[in-house]
Amino acid sequence: MRPDVMVGTSDAASSVDVRRTLVLDNGGDTIKAGFVTSTTDTSLEKPRVIPNYIVRDRHKKVYVASEFDKCKDFSEIGYRHPVEKGYIVNWEAQKEIWDREFFNDNAPQPCDPSETRLILTEQPNALPQLQTHCDQIVFELYGFSSYYRGICPTFNAYHDVQAIFQTPRDVGTRVNLPAQILLLIDSGYSHTTVTPILAGRPLQSAIRRLDIGGRILTNRLTRLLSERHFDMRHEPYVVNEMKEKACYASLDFKSDLEKTWKGTQGEHRPDYVSGGGIAKDYILPDSHTRFHGIVQDYEPSRVAQAKKGGISNEDIVTLRNERFAVPELLFNPSDIKLRQPGIPGVVMQSLSALPLGLWGGFLANIVVVGGNTLFEGFAKRLEDELTLLVPSACRVRVARPTDPITNTWEGAANFAKHEHANKLAVTKAEYDEYGSGWVARKLAAGLGVPNNGTAKAAEEGQAGPS
Amino acid sequence: MNNFGVIEVASTKTKNAPGWAYVPDVGPSPSAAALQPANRKRARNQTALSLSDLSARQDAKIRKELEALDRDIHKDAAIPIPTKGGGASRSQKHTPNVRKISQSQKTFANHLDDYQALLALAETNPAAAAALMNTAPLPKPATAAAASSSSARNSNSPAPTSSSGGDKGASGGGGTPSTSKRSAAMAKRAALATANEKKKAAAAAAKAKAEAEEAARATTSADQDVEMTDAPGSSTEEGLVGGVETSAGSGSSQQQHGIAAAAPEEQPKLQPTPPPPQMYPPDGTILPPYKRAPPLPHEGDNDPLLVSYVPSFPTDDELRALFTAPPLSYLEARAAWGEEESRYPSRSFCDVCGYWGRVRCLKCGVRTCALACLNTHKEECVTRYGL
Repeated sequence: MRPDVMVGTSDAASSVDVRRTLVLDNGGDTIKAGFVTSTTDTSLEKPRVIPNYIVRDRHKKVYVASEFDKCKDFSEIGYRHPVEKGYIVNWEAQKEIWDREFFNDNAPQPCDPSETRLILTEQPNALPQLQTHCDQIVFELYGFSSYYRGICPTFNAYHDVQAIFQTPRDVGTRVNLPAQILLLIDSGYSHTTVTPILAGRPLQSAIRRLDIGGRILTNRLTRLLSERHFDMRHEPYVVNEMKEKACYASLDFKSDLEKTWKGTQGEHRPDYVSGGGIAKDYILPDSHTRFHGIVQDYEPSRVAQAKKGGISNEDIVTLRNERFAVPELLFNPSDIKLRQPGIPGVVMQSLSALPLGLWGGFLANIVVVGGNTLFEGFAKRLEDELTLLVPSACRVRVARPTDPITNTWEGAANFAKHEHANKLAVTKAEYDEYGSGWVARKLAAGLGVPNNGTAKAAEEGQAGPS
Repeated sequence: MNNFGVIEVASTKTKNAPGWAYVPDVGPSPSAAALQPANRKRARNQTALSLSDLSARQDAKIRKELEALDRDIHKDAAIPIPTKGGGASRSQKHTPNVRKISQSQKTFANHLDDYQALLALAETNPAAAAALMNTAPLPKPATAAAASSSSARNSNSPAPTSSSGGDKGASGGGGTPSTSKRSAAMAKRAALATANEKKKAAAAAAKAKAEAEEAARATTSADQDVEMTDAPGSSTEEGLVGGVETSAGSGSSQQQHGIAAAAPEEQPKLQPTPPPPQMYPPDGTILPPYKRAPPLPHEGDNDPLLVSYVPSFPTDDELRALFTAPPLSYLEARAAWGEEESRYPSRSFCDVCGYWGRVRCLKCGVRTCALACLNTHKEECVTRYGL
């Protein structure tokens, strides 16, 4: 957040609510968790990132959530995820993880639910049954004093979005939360969603999903490596690390593919021999001295030495087109015969459900969050492809916040301090009185239509020095 | 030859099938193909009946591969919850709901199937649907939800009564849907109806878009829409200038192209004031109105060649419908394979090295890039299909 910009919060709201709020972004792969009070400076606060799985290593030792830090040997690891396709399905496992992280006596982030408000994120278009389960667990098992469950993308609107785009503006401009207009692309572990958000409200009829997430990318890389190099099918952790460290989104797929082609029989293409600037050597962890893989520039002699079995006994994988063919799935799912459009196509499908007058605003304010956006060149590639698809008069801007993984949590922390949180949250008394059906309806209704009063207030703040 | 008075009429060509019946020969039959393979080269085609069957087989293969890509590498259920040092400290009496949920072994696929079945039931059972229509209103803005709380209490039969059997409820989860479940399904159906309307509207919008692309000249649209962000002042100016540069650079309209080349620094002034019916927002009250001074007038404002097309801003009714639309169901929200995507054939890659797949293996149909990779592939192919 830029220092010359003030973020508006409601003073009245902050004086009413001095309780702690547990902000929980319960992702498919990691939980982002932290406490927010009315005095917390959310621009400095960082959440704790907790693995959201139970792990068993090859010695049959089981690690739950943050205990995984103690695990040193990452080979042949097995995972159990409570979250499936982005939604909490297995509460037995999720309860165990939450208990250990927040509610036990020696939990790292101790929390007394009866005095805490919970803000929990969920993926859009959840099944009502699963939402009901979630509400019942939150109130009937843990007994949080109040609770709000909202879809992840919406929380990203509670940011100074124009700072992410580095839009030039006057010093001292007052920023109003939530942002007026924003198209949010959340590409996470389970899937990728496109959500248009207008005045902090998601436009539900235009939310679209692409069923490709980090997990499919990792599995795809596993398959490619197993066909071409070693059998990596039992090393998901190693492959995932390799994906994060070595893969990138290609800006020119055809030429990159050309550079990494070995050629036909007996051919020695110069780009292939020299690596063409694309090939990288990945040194695998050996689980004795090295627990993490290392990416190094390609050196033809190194592999030759390793093959002779003399000097170097390192397990080296030379990554060539695997480096960009894997993230390519986000842009061309048909490469694995998945009959869905790539992210730019999904954006177009989402926009086509909206009036034409809103297109320009959404296209000029696209924010990408989630772990997959960390691939080098992701935002640029998306911007390039979208520019080709939209009317030429529309300006396309795609930006990635500094930390795309915790961005949703930070937005939710801002939300917790915002007056909207008080307006939307459901208390335990209300749950006991009206039941889970009422709670589900209230949470689904959201903020409703913005009325003129708030619009005027927003406008007055926005006018600034002009 | 005496054939006992039986006269053949149906077809001219018949063939002896195994057994005794005369059958007309309408194509390769699976039994005959199994007995006498006609083509040893293309082993993949052996058991196929027709082209459509082949593609069904390939579809199944693709689906299997996709499912393999989508699941965890290790079987999830194989890892039990560790018993010691866990959440046992909170051992208290659980409510029946909590017990049911935490003992449920359903996967997401199970839940999804349940939900789809529920939707189908609501559609086929109009009597139940009518009853539900009265009790389950659409999700409304917060105030409306609060107002309807009394009816909500009536309609919502809480789980303790229905699943007082406790554990029984966990196993037979999909059995008798409670009223609250059905009411949710009804809300979904209503959502579906509105979504269909939306889709029609979207189709109309897409048509309008084609016209828009023709007509779009200047970037008053960008100007208007950028205004909706919460960055005032120079941001709007910046967006405006940038937008003009984009459209001029693309050179899509010859008229403006010449001017842009002649005097690029005059671009910001070239913006014609938008005609009154397209002011942002038209007569809306939902979003904040545009209060800043309009761009400076310019002599080109009334030039018919320079006049800009601006898509009209949605009216309040449209915006209200967008804000209050209920969420789509899980399957509806999945981005579909549209016309745009199926226009071009999907790319195929070498099975061995990942380069373009340009050569097909005769036996199994797998694609490879060139001779080197084809030979590598054949070694594997021989083990599967024989020589």
